Amino acid sequence: MDGQGGAADPQLQQFIEVESQKQRFQQLVHQMTEVCWEKCMDKPGPKMDSRTETCLGNCVERFIDTSQFILNRLEQTQRSRGSSSESMMD
Amino acid sequence: MDSFDNFHSSEKAEASELQRMIAVEQQKAQFQAQVHSFTDICWDKCVESPGSKLDHRTETCLVSCVERFIDTTLTITNRFTQMVQKGAH
Repeated sequence: MDGQGGAADPQLQQFIEVESQKQRFQQLVHQMTEVCWEKCMDKPGPKMDSRTETCLGNCVERFIDTSQFILNRLEQTQRSRGSSSESMMD
Repeated sequence: MDSFDNFHSSEKAEASELQRMIAVEQQKAQFQAQVHSFTDICWDKCVESPGSKLDHRTETCLVSCVERFIDTTLTITNRFTQMVQKGAH
């Protein structure tokens, strides 16, 4: 037990960080599953065909690309406008 | 003071029974939530305009839907895991 009331337990902090990371991962998987199911699955059939699998793979990658692209664009826009406020990208 | 020990062990027994009950209820709730989610998704994919009964084609579609959705989730999880591991974050 340490007497430092303000200092956080590093082990606990790490645990929280790992759990938060897992949660972010899960959330993204959920979101992408929803999005890509809509984009790639027309009528569910008796098995997963290769065209759908390919589409799903592309979907994930393009979704990440899109997010990255938009992020970069927004950062660019913010820079060129000479914004003096803090970056909204954390 | 000898009743103190009894108090402790029955309290412990209650606590772990309560934990077990909570876990069972959580599991039930999770299952229900999953059923709701699948119903939502597969209704959209398989039911065009609701007829006077659930026809065979729709039933087949619903079965496929649940299975394909699980496949989809796995495919996406694997692909995304791959990407994260390659550092494409």
